[in-house]
Amino acid sequence: MKQTLASWEKEVIRCIRCGACQSVCPVFKELQAEASVARGRVMLIRAVINKDSDLTDGFREKMSLCLMCKACVANCPSGVKVDKVVEAARAEIVRKQGLPFLKRLIFRFVLKNRWVFNFAMRMGSAFQGLVFRKGPHGQGMLPRMPLGLDRRRLLAPLAPQSFRSQYPEVVKVEDAKKRVAFFTGCMINYIYTDTGRAVVNVLKRNGIEVVIPALQNCCGAPVRINGDYESARDMARANINVFLREQVDTVVVACGTCGLTLKEEYAELLADDPVYAEKAKKLGAKVQDITEVLVSLDGFRDKIQDEFQDKLLDGTQGKGLPFNTELSRPKSPASIGGGRQRAVKSSMDSTNIQRGLNPPLNEVSFKVTYHDPCHLVRGLKVKEQPRQIIRSIPGVEFVEMAKPDTCCGSGGSFSLYHYNISAKINDHKIEDIKQTGAEVLVTGCSACRMHIADGLSRQHAGVKVMHTVQLLEMAYEVDR
Amino acid sequence: MKQEIIQRLTEIVGQDNVYTSLEDLYCYSYDASFVKSNKKDLAGIAVYPGNAEETAKILKLANEEKIPVIPRGAGTNVSGGTISVGDSIILVLKRMNKILELDRKNLIAVVEPGVVTGYLQSEVERLGLFYPPDPASLAVSTIGGNVAECAGGPRGVKYGVTRDYVLGLEVVLASGEVINTGGKTIKNVTGYDMTKLFTGSEGTLGVITKIILKLIPKPEAKNTMLAVFSELEQASEAVSEIIAKGVVPATLELLDNIYIRNIEEYAKVGLPTDAEAVLLIEVDGDRQILAKQIDKIEEICKQSGAIQIRIAQTPAEAEELWRARRSAFPAVSRVRPTIIGEDVTVPRSNIPAMVKQIRAIAAKYKVIIAVLGHAGDGNLHATILTDETDREEWSRVEKAIDELFIAAVKLDGTLSGEHGIGRVKSKFITLQTGEAGLEIQRRIKQVLDPNNILNPGVMFGK
Ligand SMILES: Cc1cc2nc3c(=O)[nH]c(=O)nc-3n(C[C@H](O)[C@H](O)[C@H](O)COP(=O)(O)OP(=O)(O)OC[C@H]3O[C@@H](n4cnc5c(N)ncnc54)[C@H](O)[C@@H]3O)c2cc1C
Ligand code: SF4
Ligand code: SF4
Repeated sequence: MKQTLASWEKEVIRCIRCGACQSVCPVFKELQAEASVARGRVMLIRAVINKDSDLTDGFREKMSLCLMCKACVANCPSGVKVDKVVEAARAEIVRKQGLPFLKRLIFRFVLKNRWVFNFAMRMGSAFQGLVFRKGPHGQGMLPRMPLGLDRRRLLAPLAPQSFRSQYPEVVKVEDAKKRVAFFTGCMINYIYTDTGRAVVNVLKRNGIEVVIPALQNCCGAPVRINGDYESARDMARANINVFLREQVDTVVVACGTCGLTLKEEYAELLADDPVYAEKAKKLGAKVQDITEVLVSLDGFRDKIQDEFQDKLLDGTQGKGLPFNTELSRPKSPASIGGGRQRAVKSSMDSTNIQRGLNPPLNEVSFKVTYHDPCHLVRGLKVKEQPRQIIRSIPGVEFVEMAKPDTCCGSGGSFSLYHYNISAKINDHKIEDIKQTGAEVLVTGCSACRMHIADGLSRQHAGVKVMHTVQLLEMAYEVDR
Repeated sequence: MKQEIIQRLTEIVGQDNVYTSLEDLYCYSYDASFVKSNKKDLAGIAVYPGNAEETAKILKLANEEKIPVIPRGAGTNVSGGTISVGDSIILVLKRMNKILELDRKNLIAVVEPGVVTGYLQSEVERLGLFYPPDPASLAVSTIGGNVAECAGGPRGVKYGVTRDYVLGLEVVLASGEVINTGGKTIKNVTGYDMTKLFTGSEGTLGVITKIILKLIPKPEAKNTMLAVFSELEQASEAVSEIIAKGVVPATLELLDNIYIRNIEEYAKVGLPTDAEAVLLIEVDGDRQILAKQIDKIEEICKQSGAIQIRIAQTPAEAEELWRARRSAFPAVSRVRPTIIGEDVTVPRSNIPAMVKQIRAIAAKYKVIIAVLGHAGDGNLHATILTDETDREEWSRVEKAIDELFIAAVKLDGTLSGEHGIGRVKSKFITLQTGEAGLEIQRRIKQVLDPNNILNPGVMFGK
C-alpha cells in the first residue's frame, strides 16, 4: 500500500479529465457541482500533491463526499482508481492531522442535524457493545465496528445474543463433504443475525461443515475508507492470523465489503509487511462470497432444477410458477437431456438423503428483485451467481430493476455524514424497486440491506428486504 | 468577487445554485483539454441558472459590472473553452435539462441546453426517430455544448454534424436581451442565418437557452465489417473508392498501426499486429439493401488489397468488432499516462499524406503519436501519448502540436474538425482565416458583446 498521497501522483495524472464519470457518479447526480464528481476529486487531490492547495476543511469535506462505490472506476476509460486515491487522501488527512476528520464531520453534520442525529443514535444503539474486543494475541483492543466512532474511546460490553454467541465454533455436519470458515462481519454478527443463520443453515443442508472462528473481528473497511490505515492494518493482521489457523480452503463471506477487504485490500494494505504480505495473499485466495460457494457446488443447480421439475411433472406445482423463465434458462451441461431421470435417481439415493444433500425445496411464491451491492458486483465481480440462485427457486418470479448495480447511497459511514444526499440517492433506488412491483428485495450486503430497508420504510413501501441466502433458506424450509 | 455581486447572483438563482468555496471553484479551472488555468485565475463564483430569465438577469448584471462569463455544459470540450479566467462567473447550464417537445409529426425536438446528448438520443429513438450527431462524449456532453462547439462524430460521413440538425435557437445576448433565431421549419430564409452563426460560436456570442433540432426517421437496421490493410494508402484508397461508388457508410473508422498493436495486446481481438491500417465500417438503412452494400464494400476492400475482411453475421459479432474500436482508448492509455487528442482534419484524399506528416513530426520530436480517424470525413484524431509531468518531453510535445496544425493547413485542411478553437488553438486561427477573416469575426463579436464579457480569450486569444 502506497504510503503517502504524493506516491499516488502517477495514478492521478492518468485522469484525462474526459468527464465520463459524470454519467455514473451517484453523488454528482444529486449535487451537479464539478467538485462532487470523480474528475473533481482527482483534480483536487492532484492540487494537494502539487502543493497548489492544502488539506483544508473544504478539501476534507469534498473527500468525504465519495461513496467508494467504484462506479466511476468501472466506467473510466483510463481505469483511474478513484476510490483508492480518495482513500489515500483521507489517509493523508489522518496522518497529518490525526483523526479529526471523523470527529469534525460528526460534530458538523451529525449533531447539527436532527435527522442525522436520530439515525446515528439508532445506529448507535444497534451497535452498542460491539465496539471493542480483545485482540487474538492480547495485543490490545480491536474495534469491532468502528463505524464513525473514535476507536480509542468506546468500550462497551458485547451484545448478549450476537450471532457468533449463538453458535459453536464448529457447526458439525455428518460426513461433511467440505469444510469452510465463515467470516461473519460486524453487521451480521450484531444486527442481521438472521443472515448469518441462513448462511449456516444453507451450508449445513448442503453437507458443508462451517467453522465460525470466535476470535475474528471487524474486517476494518470502515476505518480504512476513512483513512485510518494504522488500525486497518492491525485488524487485517488479526483476522489473517485467525483464519489462516483454520484447516479450510474456503473463507465464506456474506457481505461484499467484508469480502473485498479480505480478498484484495489486506494484500494491498500489507504489501510492504515482510511477514504478512504473503499471508494476506494466502487468505485472499480463499475468500468467496456465499453465492459463489453455493453455485459452484457439485450439482447444486441441477438439484434445485431437478427437484423443481419433479414437482412440475408430479403436478404439484402451485400457481404463478415461472414455467417459461425456468425452461428458457440455459441448462447446465449435466442437466441437459437427463433432468427427470437424474432427479428421480438422486432423490431415491438414500445416502444423499441422509446427508441432507437433497433437501426438499419449498415453493416460495414471491416476486423478487435484486440489488447489486457495489463491492460485490464491482469488487468481487459477483453478479450472476445470486441471480442464478434466486431464479432457481421454485415459485419465485424474478424481475430485474432498472440499473440494479447503482449504489443504494449507503457508502458505509457516508450515510452518517451526509444523510440528506444519501437519502436522495436512496430514493432513486427505492423508486426503481417500486417500479418492479416486487414484494421482496434481495441483496448481498447488510449495509445495503439496512439502507434500503430504511428508505423503503421512509417511503412506506411494503417490500421485504433480505439476503440471497435467506430466500434460499425459505426454499429449504429450515426453521420456519 | 465583490460580496455585493455574489449576493445579487445568489438572489437570482437561489442559495443552492451558487458555489464560492475555493475547492469548488478550483474544479472549474480545467476542462477536458490539457490546459488548466492558474491558481490566480480561479473564478469568483459558479452559478447554475434554472431558466432563460435567470440567465438573462445574470448576463445583464455581468455586463453592467463588466465581469467575464464562461458558459459551461458538461465541461468535456478539449479546447480550453470552459476554464476560468480570474474573477469571472462560471455559468453552468446543466440545470436546464428538460426535453420540452418531441414532435413526431414535424420531426422536431425542442430542448433546453443542459440535456445530455445520449439521453436525448435514447428518448428520440424510443419514438422510432433518430438524432445522428454522435460525439464520443455523448454519454455526458450537453446539447448546448454540442451546438456551441458544432460537435460531430463517426456518423458525420453520412449524416453530417450538429450544425446540420439545428433549426433554431433561443439565445441570451451579453446585454441580457433574449433573441430567437431560425424556427421550426426546414426552410427558412428570413434574415441572415443567425442560427449557423451561433452554432460553433463556443460561448463567445451569446448563451444558448433553447434549441430546436431536426430529427430523422431511425434507420431500420445496421451491419458492421472490419477490413485490415498492410498499407495505409490501400485503406485510404478503399475509403475514396467506397464513397465514389455511391455507398455511404454510416461510419468509417481508421486505426493506425500503433492503435492496432496496442488494441491487440490489450483486448486480443485478433488483429494482425504488423498491419498498417484497419477500417471499421458500419452501414445502416433498409434491411434489404444492407447486404448489397456490404458486398460492394467487401469487393472494393479486396480490390484495394485488404489482407483480412470480417463481416458480422450476428449482432453479437458486430459487437465483437466494435470491441476493437472501443478498447482503443484504454489500450493506448496504458502506454503513457497523459493522452492528448488533436483533431486536425484534411480533405479525404490527403489522409495518407497527413498521416505521413504526423509520422515525420513524431519522429522529429521523439514523441509517440497514434492516429485514429473518422476516415470518411478526413477527421484525424492524432493521439499524443506522453507524460505531462516530464517537463522536457512536454516542451517537445508542444512543438509537435504546433507543427501538426501547420501541416494540416498546408494540406488544405483545418486546425480542428470538431473540437473547436477555444483557448488552446486561438494563436493559430489566422493560419486559416487570414488577418482579414479574423478581423471580420472580431467585429461581429464586438457588435454582439461590446464589453467582451462572453468567454474572453476563446477564439481571439488574449
Ligand atoms: C472523451 C471525449 C471524446 C470526445 N469526442 C468528441 C467527438 O467525437 N466529437 C466532437 O465533436 N467532440 C468530442 N469531444 C469534445 C466535447 O465533448 C464536445 O465539444 C462537446 O460538444 C462539449 O459539450 P459540453 O456539454 O461538455 O460543453 P462544454 O465543454 O461545457 O462547453 C463547450 C463550449 O461550449 C460553450 N457552451 C456550453 N454550453 C453553452 C451554451 N448553452 N450556450 C453557449 N455556449 C455554451 C462553452 O463556453 C465552451 O466554449 C470529446 C471529448 C471527450 C472528453
Ligand atoms: S472518467 Fe476517469 S479519466 Fe475521465 S475524468 Fe473521470 S476519472 Fe478522469
Ligand atoms: S466511487 Fe462512487 S461516489 Fe466516489 S467518485 Fe466514484 S462514482 Fe462517485
